[in-house]
Amino acid sequence: MTDPVRLRRALRTTARWSFFALALFALVLLRGGAGGSAIAQTPHKFKIYLSLSVSGNAWLSEAANSVKALAATPPYDKQVEIHEVISGLDPQKQISDYESMIDSGADAIISMPVSTTALNRTIKRGCDKGVMFMMFELTVLEPCAYNVSTLTSGFGENSAQALVNELHGKGTVFVVRLIPGFIADKRHYAGAMSVFKKYPGIHTIEFYGNASDETVQVETSKMLAAHPNPDGVWSTAGESGVIKALLATGRQRLVPVTGESSNGFRLALANPEYQRRGLRGVSSGGTPATAAYAFKLMMEMLTKQRTNVPHYVEYPLPWVPANAVKLCSGDRFANGCNAFPRTRVQDSFFDEIFSPAILPELSLRAASEGKPTPGMRIHKLTNPIVPAPNEPGITCDRCTPPPNLYHLTKVKPTV
Amino acid sequence: MTGLRNDDLRAAALFALAFALLLVSSRFAQGARLWDQALAILALSSFVVIVAFGQHFVVLLGGLDLAVASVMTLGGILIFGWAQASPSALLWAVPAVLLITALIGALSGAGVSLVRIPPFIMTLAMGIIIASAVLGITQGVPHGAASPVLSALFTASWLGVPRVIVLTIALTALGTLVERRTVLGRRIYAIGANREAAHLAGLPVNTVTVLCYAISGAASGLAGILMVGYASGATLELGQSYLLPSIAAVIVGGTSIAGGRGTLLGVAGGAVLLTTLSATISALAIAEGWRIVIYGFVILAALLLLRGELYGSIRARITHTRNLERNPA
Repeated sequence: MTDPVRLRRALRTTARWSFFALALFALVLLRGGAGGSAIAQTPHKFKIYLSLSVSGNAWLSEAANSVKALAATPPYDKQVEIHEVISGLDPQKQISDYESMIDSGADAIISMPVSTTALNRTIKRGCDKGVMFMMFELTVLEPCAYNVSTLTSGFGENSAQALVNELHGKGTVFVVRLIPGFIADKRHYAGAMSVFKKYPGIHTIEFYGNASDETVQVETSKMLAAHPNPDGVWSTAGESGVIKALLATGRQRLVPVTGESSNGFRLALANPEYQRRGLRGVSSGGTPATAAYAFKLMMEMLTKQRTNVPHYVEYPLPWVPANAVKLCSGDRFANGCNAFPRTRVQDSFFDEIFSPAILPELSLRAASEGKPTPGMRIHKLTNPIVPAPNEPGITCDRCTPPPNLYHLTKVKPTV
Repeated sequence: MTGLRNDDLRAAALFALAFALLLVSSRFAQGARLWDQALAILALSSFVVIVAFGQHFVVLLGGLDLAVASVMTLGGILIFGWAQASPSALLWAVPAVLLITALIGALSGAGVSLVRIPPFIMTLAMGIIIASAVLGITQGVPHGAASPVLSALFTASWLGVPRVIVLTIALTALGTLVERRTVLGRRIYAIGANREAAHLAGLPVNTVTVLCYAISGAASGLAGILMVGYASGATLELGQSYLLPSIAAVIVGGTSIAGGRGTLLGVAGGAVLLTTLSATISALAIAEGWRIVIYGFVILAALLLLRGELYGSIRARITHTRNLERNPA
């Protein structure tokens, strides 16, 4: 038989311990809850990958540095965890890198793609998992990705027309192309040739410069050995090399040159002696600022500050004729300046990384070293976002291009 | 000695072919003076000649240096950052850059000879390491300035000939002297012809291997230094387009890829021919793709025509004809 006194005592002890255990459990729950809310209060950091194709090129270095600088500028410095990956020019490698980024829990990938089509399946898989893809300058045809580019803004046709105007519609023109197979090369070349072919007096001789100042200089020198008297040069990236090759021949007569936005080219355009010897031209072209702009756009979408962004956004085409080149005294564009003294940056530096209206956060330090501009905070984008037009192979696959695909926006024909 | 004579014939044929191409090119070019064209092409050839100079010694051993492009870039970036606009700084910066690039080459050589890593893997890895280190340190944007003294090598001249051409000729002459008249030269040929036999004969195989790779490193460094003078600046792509031309110049120049055979004079001829060919084809107003096709075909034809056996058979035919003339019976 069980002693009732003992039984009562045992029950009382059990109840006491049970109460204690419940109290302890409640306390743990409460603490856990408090802890949970503390975690919730910690700002969520977006895991963002910066995926680049080639490395070491001035254009891409500035693009990457500007993104890293923006990611370190308040308030993004508290919101973003950024990882840089260089994939090279092999689409398979970039596909593999994208796959790893998706699997590692990326919130977004900002990238310069090496192919418009090869990455599509992987991008679609990423989008389905909630990863945002933002491409800059070169585009992809996967509809879920976002793209910011100058490709459709008409560099080729506008700069070619400016050159034809300078040449009064006749002469031999060196055409310095970009990198074989690059969509940017195809688009700029097609735009330029759409103009040159209208003028029977224009004869073109083309070669590739591989977007490198040194290669362009060497190839232009070879071309000058064979054709010593060109009347003009239409160049994509590497135009500083064109100027150096022309000067190296020791010739007195210089010729009109159009090109992109390297600082050495702008300084040459503004040089009174070179102007007297015949150098004219315009500085335009694709800009590494598309990377920084794309990053800000992406961050505004991630932080729900912006919705309804078109998947293909056109970045405004830079356009600086020789007479508009103005030296900056500070470390960014201000008061209409658009070039830097040679003591501040190299000839290959792309000046159009700066845009006071769109990217006021960037300075020379940001573009060269990837470090934030001291005292700067991110400014919300206020410029109108321009959707890019339909261009087969760039913004759509099997679409109809507008009838005025190569219409001129910056210059009018004078001949 | 017969081999050397064949190689000299080949070198002469390469220079003659380059000159013939130049004549063709001047026919296409409107207003080009042959002398100016020749000087421009020789100046442009200097980069390939110098990089191929080092590559030649490595290939003579039966090796290959795939790090030349990265080491050339490193040489350019270092001189760009160190010498800047100060002529006096060049006095220490140039030897320092050459020493560093030679040490990098020596490291590749040590990996190949002591650790027995295949040259292809060793130099490829070294090239990737150097390129990545340069990218990491510069963040993609090198800082510095081009020395006016280096730029003057391309603009100023001695008796109308740009100084860089004189420098390249002097370097080729020095290299030719080393490979033909010194113990080191004989050892390089011996090791390249049969490494095991050279080892058994007591030759310092490892030391010579390390030295040849060091020469290749220093030559690439020198080409990088000169490129900064030419381009008045430096980017991380500075040496990018010189790897394949350096190998092509060595092969077209008659250096056997298996080692043990070839001359520096032939390599210089190969480099000048390739540059002239590239410039000549530029004179043709045809699409770039077709130019490269023609370029490939001409190189193939040159390789077939300039095979060593061809000289041997020509010499044999001449000897046979003479013998027949002397002894008709």
